[in-house]
Amino acid sequence: MNAITQTSADTRRKRGRGMAASWYGIARTATIDRAGAWAEIDDGGTIKVVTGVTEIGEGILTVLAQVAAEETGARPEDVTIGDNDTARSPEAAHAGATRQTYMIGNSVALASREARKMLFEQIAEHWDTPEDSLRAFNGEIWVEGSNLRMTLSEAVAICKGRGVVPVGAASFTAHGTGLHPVDGKGSPWQTYVFGTQVAEVEVDTWTGEVQVLGIWAAHDVGRCINPRGVEGQIEGGVVQGLGQALMEEHICEGGHPTTHGFAKYILPTALDVPQINCIIVEDEDPTSPLRAKGIGEPALVPTCPAIMNAIYDAIGVRMKSLPATPEKILAALRMPPGGGARITWNNRPAGETLT
Amino acid sequence: MSETRITCEVNGRKVARTVATHKRLLDLLRDDLNLTGTKEGCGAGECGTCSVFVDGKLVKSCLVPAARAEGARIETIEGLAGMGPLTPVQKAFHKTGASQCGYCIPGMVMAATNCLRLNPEADIDEIKERMGGNICRCTGYTKILEAVEIARDVIAGRRPEGDLDTDEPLGDSFIGHNVRRIDAPAKVTGRLRYAADMKLVDMLQMQVLRSPHPHARIVSIDTSVAEAMEGVECVITAADVPGKDGFGVFVHDQPIMARGKVRHVGEAVAAVAAEDLLTARRAVAAIKVEYEPLPVIGTPEDAIAPGAPVIHDYAPDNVVKHIPLRKGNPEAGFAEADLIIEDSFSTQSVEHAYLEPEAGVAFVDHDDVVTVHSPSQNITHHRHMLADILGLPINKVRMVMSAVGGGFGGKEDMIYQGMLALAAIRTRRPVQLNFTREESLIASAKRHPSKVSYKMGLKRTGKITAITFDMLSDGGAYGMSSEGVMRKAAILSCGPYEVHNLQVDTRAVYTNNTPSGAFRTFGGMQAQFATESMMDIAAEALGMDPFELRRINMYRKGSITHTQHRLDRASLDMVLDAAETASRWESGAPNVRGAARSDMGGPDTRQPCTLGARIVAEAADLSQGDHPTKASTEAAE
Ligand code: FES
Ligand code: FES
Repeated sequence: MNAITQTSADTRRKRGRGMAASWYGIARTATIDRAGAWAEIDDGGTIKVVTGVTEIGEGILTVLAQVAAEETGARPEDVTIGDNDTARSPEAAHAGATRQTYMIGNSVALASREARKMLFEQIAEHWDTPEDSLRAFNGEIWVEGSNLRMTLSEAVAICKGRGVVPVGAASFTAHGTGLHPVDGKGSPWQTYVFGTQVAEVEVDTWTGEVQVLGIWAAHDVGRCINPRGVEGQIEGGVVQGLGQALMEEHICEGGHPTTHGFAKYILPTALDVPQINCIIVEDEDPTSPLRAKGIGEPALVPTCPAIMNAIYDAIGVRMKSLPATPEKILAALRMPPGGGARITWNNRPAGETLT
Repeated sequence: MSETRITCEVNGRKVARTVATHKRLLDLLRDDLNLTGTKEGCGAGECGTCSVFVDGKLVKSCLVPAARAEGARIETIEGLAGMGPLTPVQKAFHKTGASQCGYCIPGMVMAATNCLRLNPEADIDEIKERMGGNICRCTGYTKILEAVEIARDVIAGRRPEGDLDTDEPLGDSFIGHNVRRIDAPAKVTGRLRYAADMKLVDMLQMQVLRSPHPHARIVSIDTSVAEAMEGVECVITAADVPGKDGFGVFVHDQPIMARGKVRHVGEAVAAVAAEDLLTARRAVAAIKVEYEPLPVIGTPEDAIAPGAPVIHDYAPDNVVKHIPLRKGNPEAGFAEADLIIEDSFSTQSVEHAYLEPEAGVAFVDHDDVVTVHSPSQNITHHRHMLADILGLPINKVRMVMSAVGGGFGGKEDMIYQGMLALAAIRTRRPVQLNFTREESLIASAKRHPSKVSYKMGLKRTGKITAITFDMLSDGGAYGMSSEGVMRKAAILSCGPYEVHNLQVDTRAVYTNNTPSGAFRTFGGMQAQFATESMMDIAAEALGMDPFELRRINMYRKGSITHTQHRLDRASLDMVLDAAETASRWESGAPNVRGAARSDMGGPDTRQPCTLGARIVAEAADLSQGDHPTKASTEAAE
């Protein structure tokens, strides 16, 4: 920094801000989506959940543990989630399409409710109290407004002593419809999410290099199950978007790939990361038991355009071909100013100037 | 095979092994000592997943010959905590939720430990620089950096150690509570085993012969020399497939190994299962394939040009999928507009770059069930397709989803499970295939490169009157998820705005490039990059704040979407308000006003980076296998 005077720094490094909005659908597109799960309230007040899905990094195992715990009265750490295995677990289809929390989460919630109902029936009889007076949370079960209370572990022992294993199975459906082949008419999803991001950048007009210094990412995720997990998805999505915006490119020349390793295929590192400010918006989904939606994919949609709009704000150059590498920025800076879009006014009042 | 005797200390214990001289320290640790917490993300010193300490110095073990371990003191992720409690760094990673898929995490924990050993007072800039050689594709680094700062403060005594184990108090629900990730302890200790970490008794290693040509007819394949080699258990080609060959997320146009012709560089042509990796590699080199090159389609424009060569017989026009949307009357909409904007946008091919390269293990169990463990993102569909390919009833095929070291859509395609299953059936032994990073890059699907031609009409008030949106995408050599990607791109195309008159067309076409497939947003980002750029161009032309223009057009309750679906609710107003407020957005038209803004440089931004300023002295140390970051092109000034 030292060698540059304030004045030359001002002309060399330019800052700007841009924003972009976005939308996305939850679960599989333009089709019916489905997921199954089994749950058992097990000895010791622990929970067994089996469903055909596992973690790809997004945190779904933790989400499912929270959901099963909430629905049964156990604690998340008491939940064991079985392996994802086509011969051992019910179908939950694929790990993608921002469907894990919505599809599998709801299916586990419903299966857990079934299991709880079996347990509650037995405990209600045992305590001679109406079933709807029972509550369970964090490893305990009690009768609302009384001093009848025991651990979930004791409750399971009583239930089993009465000859009942509390189990549940459920399937959750999302009703999308296909698109009409001619006009595309259809209802591709039953739940949508929206997001908006603002980017703040600094462009070095000598080297063409862009640094993203700040991102504000506001995303509707429906009812938020795990805020830290949602932040993790947003932060990861933003940085993938940043990579696509500024540096990543798999190149094929005449069918021959030339980006053979990470020396050629450049990825964002810790040094490229902006400060990411996550704003979690919860517009709860009224049509599903958990009232959650999703965040995996939507987090990355607005990042690229927000950064490109910020670059325009800084240097007046509209980057329309990704990635906006230093070479492309420098080349664009040598072009005449303006975005290059063709803009036509109809019935323009006389004297008005083109932007 | 020449061998070397190595005696060293690993995680405090003396070990001695005789290993092949070509082995790397990474192989010694993973293969011979079973310390699989150290991962191979790239094998070329570029990702940091293989980081270990040798005589106290952090090295990338993929770059170190095993012989260098002689007499050395080695510390791996497994040795950090040993049998004891997690270290402060590991606990902090657990606390902040720093691990997602976890594949980079052992290397990250090692790099963070190294940073704090070298400088217990390291500030955030130094931490970033010292961890700059470690790639994470999932987390966006933010929670990792937060964890390192917490660990630093605990180690320095500025923060009570108990902080690492305490969390915010639980309210009356686990929903909305920051429950710690239940898989984090397994990830921060390196205990979680991914498919490449599996070892089964009697297991063979598979290697794959891949096409050097983008488009060529296979004249002949001669596997006889390879088959005769000692240690080779089987060589398979498309001719060995017993059932109906073909997989794909939508259209089943891809054989498990090239059948009759190759359509892209890196396509599997034959595979070998042998007693060890080296033998398998040698056998692959001994397979002779005669090719007759065919004309190559290198761009989507070439694919749809009249007289273009045909890549798949079933699609003589090279079109994988065309999705049209029609709503209202665009012509009338444009006639009504005060302002018409036309422009075009393009996006590139992007690699998923999950840190875990593709890997899998297959075997046939005691009940004749063909079982495949792999980080597949869709075992349900893979089971269906594999049963057809193998000609087996569905319950004789079992797919198990092993821990996934990052997917992002890239592990939805069944590009290697078929070969593994076939070799397991042929040999009746477990077979493992671990891709190298190079293989992963050339053989797996990418994000669709796309070009969008856009025309938008607006009233002076900002209201959009009509849009035509035309997207042409490079689907590459096979269909994979192209159909679905085009569908989603079309549905989301014109953004979250109510447009009464529109014409949208999205098309993916076959070329001889690396196939394109599913990638986080599934076409959504390519489409909305174009739309959100157009919205800002329009806002500038109208002299309007970009938030304002979006509010004028945004979906509301009751809006009719581009596919004519009536929305019961829409939260765009909420997220627009939230982002505008949180960023302290200064209202104004997007007319290059960066220099005049007063809303920038706040405490919620980072300082621009001046790389190398902090630790110039150790630059030589860091240079070993350092990742060439983009930021590193900016020298210290
Ligand atoms: S595997 Fe060694 S740096 Fe990537
Ligand atoms: S958690 Fe870092 S690569 Fe997945």
